[in-house]
Amino acid sequence: MKVDCIIDGKSLLLNLNSNKPLSLILSEDIQNPAISSHCNGELCGLCVVLMDGKAVLSCLVPAFEIRGKSIITFDGYAKTKNAKDIEKAYELMHIRPCPTCYNARTLLIESLLSNNMTSREEIIREMECVKCHCLEYNDMVRIVQAANEIRRKRHARRS
Amino acid sequence: MLEGLRSPNIHTPQNLSEFSSIIQHYPTSSFWAGGTYIMSRKFSYPSNATNEEIIYLGSIEELRRFQRNDRVAEFGSMVSLYELITTGKTILPKILVDTIQSFGGNIATGRITIGGSLATRDFRSSLPGTLNLFDASCEVRYMKKKRMHSKWFSLMQIYDKSGRLNLPANALISRIRINLAEKSFQKFLVRGEFFPHSDNAVSLAVTGNLDQDNFNDARLSLTYPDYGFISNHDLDNTLSSARFPLDQSESRSVEEAILEIAGATFPHLSHLQKIRTRGLVREMLNELNINALTTTSIEDTSSNI
Repeated sequence: MKVDCIIDGKSLLLNLNSNKPLSLILSEDIQNPAISSHCNGELCGLCVVLMDGKAVLSCLVPAFEIRGKSIITFDGYAKTKNAKDIEKAYELMHIRPCPTCYNARTLLIESLLSNNMTSREEIIREMECVKCHCLEYNDMVRIVQAANEIRRKRHARRS
Repeated sequence: MLEGLRSPNIHTPQNLSEFSSIIQHYPTSSFWAGGTYIMSRKFSYPSNATNEEIIYLGSIEELRRFQRNDRVAEFGSMVSLYELITTGKTILPKILVDTIQSFGGNIATGRITIGGSLATRDFRSSLPGTLNLFDASCEVRYMKKKRMHSKWFSLMQIYDKSGRLNLPANALISRIRINLAEKSFQKFLVRGEFFPHSDNAVSLAVTGNLDQDNFNDARLSLTYPDYGFISNHDLDNTLSSARFPLDQSESRSVEEAILEIAGATFPHLSHLQKIRTRGLVREMLNELNINALTTTSIEDTSSNI
C-alpha cells in the first residue's frame, strides 16, 4: 500500500506492507540510524519516536496508522532547541543514559516535558517502558525536573 | 516489500453500518483495535498469518464514546485506557485505576483499548478480572442471517468457566458497562510482567465491605495471562466465610483453599506462578487483617470515649 507521511520534516510517499511495523520501516526503508533494534515483541522500549508529538513505541505502530502523520525520530529531534534543554540537563546533573537507550530516553523526556508530566510517580511510570537499567529512578526524576526548569527559564527569557 | 507476502487490505469503516457491510463481504477478516497485542507477538511481521483482510476499528465514532450517571459508567470499546483514566479518574473505582496503571505509562495505555484488552483470544490481561468484580457487562454485535444484531452479556458470559474468550468469530464488543458502587476494601496486586513474560505473571483483584470482623460482598479474581482468569463463588466464599483478623493457621487454610481452586481450574500453572499466587494471597490477607484491626481499635476507642 502507498503511505504518505512526514518523517523528520520530510514528506515521503512509501510503498509498504500495510502491517509492517514503523520500527522496521525506519530502519529498513528509510535507513534511519537512530532506530537500530527491532525487538520482535520483547517490548524493549528502545524504539521510541514522536508521532504527532506523542511518544510511541514504533514497533507497535503498523504502516497503515502512519498515513498523514508526522513522525520525529531522534535524528530529527536532536537538531531542535528542545533537545538542547535535555542535553543541558544531562550535563548539569552529570548523569547520562547509556548509548543504547540514550535516544529513547531523550524522546521520552521530551514527551514528559511537553505534556507537563513532572511528578515523580509519572516520570517513573513513563520511563519504566525502557527496559535498560543504566539509570536509577532518582536520577531519571532529577534529569526530567532539571530539564523542565531549563525549558521554563528559556521560555521565560523569550517572552 | 517481502517477496510472496501479500500486504493485507485495511478497511477503515467510519460507523457501525459501514462495519457491518464490510464484515458481510469479508467474513474472515480480523479486527484491529489498538494493535498492541497483535504487534507485540513474536514474529508478527513478516508472517503469512497476517495475509488477510483487516478491519481497523479506530475510526468508528460510536465506539469512542464515554457516558456515565450516578450508578453506571459506559465506555465504547475503542476508548483507550489512557482516555479512561484521564476522563474518569475521579469517578472510577480506585482498583480499576490501579489495574490500568499496572499496564505501564501513557506510551502503553495510550494505545491499549478497553475492548481490545477484553477480546484477545489467547491472552488475558488483568482488566477482565477486575471489571468482573464490578458486575461489568458488554454489548456484543454479531452477524446473524446477514443482519447485525446486538445483545448485552455479563462479562462472565463472554468467557467460559476457565476465563477463555467464548465469542463467535465475527462478534464485536462495542460497549462496556460497569457499576460504580464503591466498596470499603479494594486491592489490586500484580507480580511479574504480563508483557512479554506472561508465563510467570499473576494478578489478584479483591473488593468487599469490611464490617468489623466480617468481609461482606467479597469478590476475588485471579488472572493468569496465558490461561484466563478465575472469578467464582467458591473463590469469594473463601473470604466471606472468614472472620478477620485471621490467625496464622486460619490464614494458611484460606491460602490453601484459594491455591487449590486455582490449581484445579488451571492445572498447568508454572511453579513460579503458584509461589506468586501464594504471596499475593498472603499480602491480601495481611492487608485485610490490618484493616480489620484498625477498624476494631477505632471503634473500641470511640466507645470508650
